[in-house]
Order: sequence, then C-alpha cells, then structure tokens
Amino acid sequence: MENSNKKSRRDFIRTGTRLSLLITLGAVGGIAAKNLTAEKYVWQIDPFKCTQCGRCATSCVMTPSAVKCIHAYDLCGYCDLCGGYLKPDANKLSTAAENQLCPTAAIQRRFIEEPYFEYVINEDLCIGCAKCVKGCTSFGNGSLHLQIIHKRCLNCNECSIARLCPSQAISRVNASKAYKVKGGFTKDTKA
Amino acid sequence: MKNKGIVFFLIILAVVIVVVVALDYNASKPDQQPANPYAYNIDPFSRIDTVLIHYKESRNLAISFSEPTGISFRGDELFVVGDQKLQIIEPTGKLMNEVSFDQKPTCVYASTENIFVGFKKSVAILSRDGAKITEWNSFSDSTVITSIAEKSGIVFVADAGKRMIRKFALDGKSLGIIEGKSGNDQIHGFIIPSPYFDLAFNADGELWVVNPGKHSLENYTVEGALRTWWQASSIKVEGFSGCCNPAHFAFLPDGSFVTSEKGMVRIKTYKPSGEFSGVVAAPSKFAENSEAPDLAVDNQGNIYALDLNKKMLRLFVKK
Repeated sequence: MENSNKKSRRDFIRTGTRLSLLITLGAVGGIAAKNLTAEKYVWQIDPFKCTQCGRCATSCVMTPSAVKCIHAYDLCGYCDLCGGYLKPDANKLSTAAENQLCPTAAIQRRFIEEPYFEYVINEDLCIGCAKCVKGCTSFGNGSLHLQIIHKRCLNCNECSIARLCPSQAISRVNASKAYKVKGGFTKDTKA
Repeated sequence: MKNKGIVFFLIILAVVIVVVVALDYNASKPDQQPANPYAYNIDPFSRIDTVLIHYKESRNLAISFSEPTGISFRGDELFVVGDQKLQIIEPTGKLMNEVSFDQKPTCVYASTENIFVGFKKSVAILSRDGAKITEWNSFSDSTVITSIAEKSGIVFVADAGKRMIRKFALDGKSLGIIEGKSGNDQIHGFIIPSPYFDLAFNADGELWVVNPGKHSLENYTVEGALRTWWQASSIKVEGFSGCCNPAHFAFLPDGSFVTSEKGMVRIKTYKPSGEFSGVVAAPSKFAENSEAPDLAVDNQGNIYALDLNKKMLRLFVKK
C-alpha cells in the first residue's frame, strides 16, 4: 500500500526527461524569436571621416571590393573640369582613356547642356579605390564618396577593411540605416 | 624521459604558434602595409613653390563671430558680417560699432556714404555710422544674395539663386538685370552651381563679375554688355578648378585681381590682364576642408582674408 503512492524511478525519469525537453524547446524558441526581432548591424563608411587612402580596394575579402563609389547628385557641380573624373595633367577635357583618373573607367561622363556634365558610376566596374573621391573632395564639392554596398558585403564579424582603416571611418551601423550617404539623394549606380 | 620529450615538443610548438600569430598581426597593421597601388597623391598640387608666394602673413585679428560670412574695407575701417550682426573694426582690431539684425547676413559692401548688408533674400542699407536707412525685400523665393557693389548711385546685387545681377537705384527702384548672356555665343550666362557669385568695381570704375562655373572673370558695362573676360581653368596653381571658382575676389590698387578658391583653398593674385601673378596664401595656410575666405584690400594693397573656419581676420602683406 505504501508503495502505490510513490512514483517509480521510471516515472521520475520519464517526467524529468519531458520537462527537460520542454525547457530546452522553450529556450531554443526564445533565442530564435530574439534573433528574429533583434536589431541587426552592418559595416558602413562614414564619408566625412574617410581620407580616401585607397585601402578599401585592396583590403576587402571580396574581389572586387564591396566598397563602391556613389554619387550625391545634389552636391555635384556638374563640372566640365571634374577633379574626380580627369587626371590633373589631362591634355584635354575629354573622355579619352588617357585623361581618365579612374583605373577601371567606371565613371561615365555624359553631356547635359553647355557647360554641364553628369558623372555616373558603373558599380560593376568600380573597385572602390577612391581615386575619384580624393579628386572630387580636393578640387570639387565632394559629391563622390565611398559606401559599403550591402548586397555585395559578406558582413564579416571583423571587417578586414575596418581593421586597417587609418581614419577609423568604418563602423557597425544599424541595418535599418545601413548607408551614410552625403547630400539628399543619389540613384542607382549601375549605368 | 619520453614525457620530457613530449613536453619539450609542445613548448616549442606553442612558441612557434605565438611567433606566427604575432608576426601576422603586426604585418596587418596600417603602417606595415605594402605600398598602395591606388594611392592618389595630390601633394604636388597643394604644395606651392615658395618662389611663387609673394605675400607673408603679418598679423591676425580675432573676431567675435561664431559664423563669419563677409568682409569689406572702406576708408580706414573694416566691415565684417556674420551671425546676426555687423561689426565695424579698425585695422588695429578695435571694435568701433556693432549693429544687430534679426537674420544672418551673407555679404557686406561699404561705399563712401553707406553700408550695404546682404541677406539671403533682402538687402539692408545703413549709414556709415550704422543707422538703418531702409531695407529691400522684393526678391524672388529662389534668390540667394551673395555680393553687393555700388557705383554712381547704382547698386549691383549678385543673385546666385537666380543667376543674375540685379540693378537698383539708391531709392530701391529696380533698374533691370544683367544675365551675362552674349549674342555672339562666347558665353552662356552665369554658371553658378553653388552659391558663390562675387562682383566688384575696380579703381577705374569697371564692373567685374565672377562666372564661377566657367572659371572666368567677366567685365560688363553698367548696362550689362560684356566688354572683356579672362578664364583660367586648370587644376594647377595657375588656374581655377572645381565647380565654382574663384569663390571670392577683390582688387589691388593697381587693378590686379586677388582671388580665393574653395576646394583646395588658396589665395592668389592675377594681373589686370588675367595673367597669373603669384600666390598670397598656399593651401597649407588653411585647415583641411576649409571654406573659401572672403577678401578685402586696404588702400596700401594689404590683403585681409576672412578665415571662416579659424574665425579670424588674417592680414597678408607683400614680402
């Protein structure tokens, strides 16, 4: 009679196992829910800290780099003599290859109306070397600037460019504000 | 004996691993990197040959502005605007008078009898002692006033927003506009991508206007007909580059031009013909990402540069 009120060892183990599974399931579900709702962070360049050293082209684990030049059109002067497009010693203000500063000819120069020219970045050709950014910042309005393009970025735990960036211009930003674009607007960089 | 061998091997292995990790970490530091094949060195353009520098900085005047915007010189007084005020300062730095406004001025011009203070969309006219005479407000919504000059009772107001020069009588009556367009297609109106649009009269009473998008200075009759112009478009020191240069200019007593540039900030002089003469202040004189300083010239040909970033008046005298 006394033994009938006591749980057997088998029942105890069975109940304990069920309880453990339930707790584990709850914990896993909780962690999954937290991960789903938690804010994500991505790497991005602050264009106002960037010194256009050129390391973004060579330090990214992606080839070509996930860093690309983008253009803030509202800041652009649409210059004929564009310091971001032309070599300083260009013999003529033209689209001739020997006059272009970009090593991959990723910038297209389009005539708008005299004397305005529009400069469009071909993202597929851009390697993020920042030569155009340096030229534009030094001689013009600074409308060309670098950004990490997130559809190309692997979002490494430790960004290899951020580790080497001499101006510490790369940091984690909230994924909901993944870009730090200069000016008011830009547009699709694919020509 | 056998255990000692294993321990010795493990110690050697640990040391090797530590050395490899340390070498790898050290090699990936920014200052240990191999030469960057994409580095773009602009130092040759910012570094100026000292032979070309004809002026030296002789003194600085601290000014009590958080955002100075413009300067003018007349008689023996400096007129500085910014924040929401005008200050009249002696060349020694002594403050003579201060006038407050309810908005931020963009430019100032002092004639022998009046002080013209430009705001974004209006002009205030004051007597030389700072008493307000009148204010003109009849400008358009897109007006951006950047410079003012007066000659023989006609006031010329540079409107960068509308890309034109507006002419007024002293009583405020509109006398027409100058659009800078030429019938023979030599020029195409004023090209002003950003609000830098300066004008001034030289000692001979000739109206000169910057066409910043063309990197040119253009001489117009009072009626608005183009008489002559010169252009210096180059990234090299002899010319102007970027979208809107020169940002400001003034005249030396001999009719030479003093210009200041944005982007790569520098102050230079050009002969009355437009030929490059020399450098007043090299880019190394200004902080990185500085704005173009506004300019004024005194009767002796000394150049006052209003440094908007250091918030001071910098005096340059001929060497």
